[in-house]
Amino acid sequence: MSKVTGWLKKQNIPGIVYGSVLIFLFFSIIEKKFFTPYNVMLIARNSCILLTVSIGMTMAVLIGQVDLSVGSVMSVSAVMVKNGVPLAAALMAAFGAAALFGLVNGILIAVLKVDYWITTFATMSIGAGLALVISDGSTVPISSKFLDFLGNGKVCGVYFLIVLTIVLTVLILFLLKRSKLGYDVYSIGGSENVARLSGLDVNRTRMMVYLISSLIAALAGILITGMTNSASPIVGSEYSFNALAAVVIGGTSLNGGKGGVAGTVFGTVLLRIIASGLAMLGVPATWQKVIQGLIIVVIIVADVSSEKKKDVNGLRRIYAND
Amino acid sequence: MSGIKKPILQMAGITKRFPGTLALDQVQLTCYPGKVHVLLGENGAGKSTLVKILSGVYTRDEGTIEFEGRQVNYTNVREAMAYGISIIHQELNLLPERTIAQNIYIGHEPRNQAGLIDYGKMVKDSRALLKNLGLDLNPDDYIKNLSIAQQQMVEVVKALSNRIKVLIMDEPTSSLTQKEIAKLFEIMEQLKKQNVAIIYISHRMDEIKRVGDQVTIMRDGKYIATLDAKTMDLDDAITMMVGRKIDNLYARSYNKPGKEILRTRDLKGLRFRNVNITVHEGEIVSLSGLVGAGRTEIAKALFGYDPIEEGGFQLFGEEIKKPSPKKCISRGMAFLPEDRKAEGLHLLMPIKENIVAACLKKDFPNFILNGKTEQTLGELYQDKLRIATSDVDKLVGELSGGNQQKVVIAKWLATSCKLIIFDEPTRGIDVGAKAEIYALMDELVSQGYGILMISSELGEVIGVSDRVYVMREGEIQAELSHESLTQENIMRYAI
Repeated sequence: MSKVTGWLKKQNIPGIVYGSVLIFLFFSIIEKKFFTPYNVMLIARNSCILLTVSIGMTMAVLIGQVDLSVGSVMSVSAVMVKNGVPLAAALMAAFGAAALFGLVNGILIAVLKVDYWITTFATMSIGAGLALVISDGSTVPISSKFLDFLGNGKVCGVYFLIVLTIVLTVLILFLLKRSKLGYDVYSIGGSENVARLSGLDVNRTRMMVYLISSLIAALAGILITGMTNSASPIVGSEYSFNALAAVVIGGTSLNGGKGGVAGTVFGTVLLRIIASGLAMLGVPATWQKVIQGLIIVVIIVADVSSEKKKDVNGLRRIYAND
Repeated sequence: MSGIKKPILQMAGITKRFPGTLALDQVQLTCYPGKVHVLLGENGAGKSTLVKILSGVYTRDEGTIEFEGRQVNYTNVREAMAYGISIIHQELNLLPERTIAQNIYIGHEPRNQAGLIDYGKMVKDSRALLKNLGLDLNPDDYIKNLSIAQQQMVEVVKALSNRIKVLIMDEPTSSLTQKEIAKLFEIMEQLKKQNVAIIYISHRMDEIKRVGDQVTIMRDGKYIATLDAKTMDLDDAITMMVGRKIDNLYARSYNKPGKEILRTRDLKGLRFRNVNITVHEGEIVSLSGLVGAGRTEIAKALFGYDPIEEGGFQLFGEEIKKPSPKKCISRGMAFLPEDRKAEGLHLLMPIKENIVAACLKKDFPNFILNGKTEQTLGELYQDKLRIATSDVDKLVGELSGGNQQKVVIAKWLATSCKLIIFDEPTRGIDVGAKAEIYALMDELVSQGYGILMISSELGEVIGVSDRVYVMREGEIQAELSHESLTQENIMRYAI
């Protein structure tokens, strides 16, 4: 047993992983139907859209900023899909619009030095409004075999959506860990000053991050259109803050430079486990939000205090080295 | 000797303006390959600004830079690095959450054929560089787990990992031990042999003759002279640096100490232990030692910023349990932080509002701000401390460093404190204003205040202290009275 705990300690696994496992066990014990292949698959599938958005958000948080506009970008790209418009044109319009949002965010924040909260809050509002304007405020059914496959198709018994999300996650994970862009993201988030003094192109990296975050959000918007077979102008409205919650619960520091995609996966899954478990227990949707919020607070407080302890221990170690 | 080689670098007519100040005024600098050029000047003389222009951090307003015989006009750090100009900054510029290897190769990470970063090569090359300098560090370790001195050495390695032709070192030795300094000088010798031109900034006069070939003296943003390091007279250099003879920088009256104000008992905290010190009325007591020896941490623990792990302390004989800034202020303690711009002042608020910032409750009962009281207090302290301003309504940010420090002092005097902790009281303040701050400190202790000073400037410690506690690695090594204060005496215990 002590071998196991010793090994776990060495792996430096964030508390969030234990939290996810505990809450999963909790629901499994009190609700028979919870830990069934069907429900596990459902949780995984329901995590996909949020995880996709959260991965883009993770990059923004890693450079020490936030992209609140992702939810609205989802909505905008969703309503680009219309019956009668060729799918290829609709997809191009969706990603084009997203790229525009990403560039506007990037230019305002990196070049014009507008505060990132204000900027992405404003573009969030612009996007939410535009989605309503484009769609005339109505949700329309979409019949596209391709989109339906993206959202609901299965390969070898597993939803294609899950496969796609896993591929995307691994891709971004790899990008962050092994590419120049990923290195620069961590460096800038760690200290903008150090990054600049080391000759990194801080502005370009920032713009890239907002661009990627927007494009990923557009992908999420299209996937959800396929999942629901409908294009809704408010489909993304809750995703910005849920994604931010998933990232922060996953242990990525809001100060930037610390954390990553792996934590975000657990943060997202945890949020979905809680939602699924509470729904199964018959907790009304209105209360689910309250409980979800409380659980987030508990997790983050626990995480912050353990981080603090780590920092103090770190100081002691430095001091002992002297 | 310098005539044989052609200069690698010639800066001429360099001018740089910042809002409200002329930081550099027609400055020149010429460097030769394989030579060490020392920049000498007081704080604020413009040395750091000059090297920041050279390294691409700032862009110049006027002037020319000639590098290897050609005019260059780079505008950022990347382009300067591409020429082979690298800088070791005064402050540590490392990412605590990244590994040593990642920090060394930041910005020029080795890549494999696929264009991806080759972390394995990075670690291997870092290990070789570290070993080359005789450093026993694992490139996979995180920066946050290193001591300050180790971090400083990583900073050196980082600069060397580039292909360098000009290396700028901005006070690299300020937090190193003697052993590490010796190591650094060895490295510099090696670099000289490889024909690297080194620009060296240091406040330690003894280092100049040891490592320097030429010396350029700057004052108030102006070029004064360039001398041969081996033949120059140190006293002449100092006079050129300061611009006038400073007769009585430190005016002390050395009163007989009065009642005891502060007494600590086996105090232990984050970076210090077994600390037993006292401060009496009428005394200036200093904590001396190298950066990172735990001096500031003691002050922060006393003031309730940092936790006290063991032991405790008394103020006027009263045990202070669980100190907090609020409690300490109400018992008569004041703390002037090292970084007064970030921690001591609201730069964008008027002088008078800064002065009343810590005493709101006492003088403004019922939480009602009273403009008249504010004005009266503001003018009272302007007068008392000779704060040079036409109007206490002016923003603190517009004042010079010395006058800003006076506003911080006024702020605390207004709280009716008795014990004042000064952390680096004259950092970034020019010599004339320094003398005024020292005179003010002497005046305060003559009136019965007690002062606990933390300072990295040995001259200051020796000049103004009644007593000095010398610290090393978190423990007090010696207590020296002002009669026995010499540079050698302090350093013997500090290192």
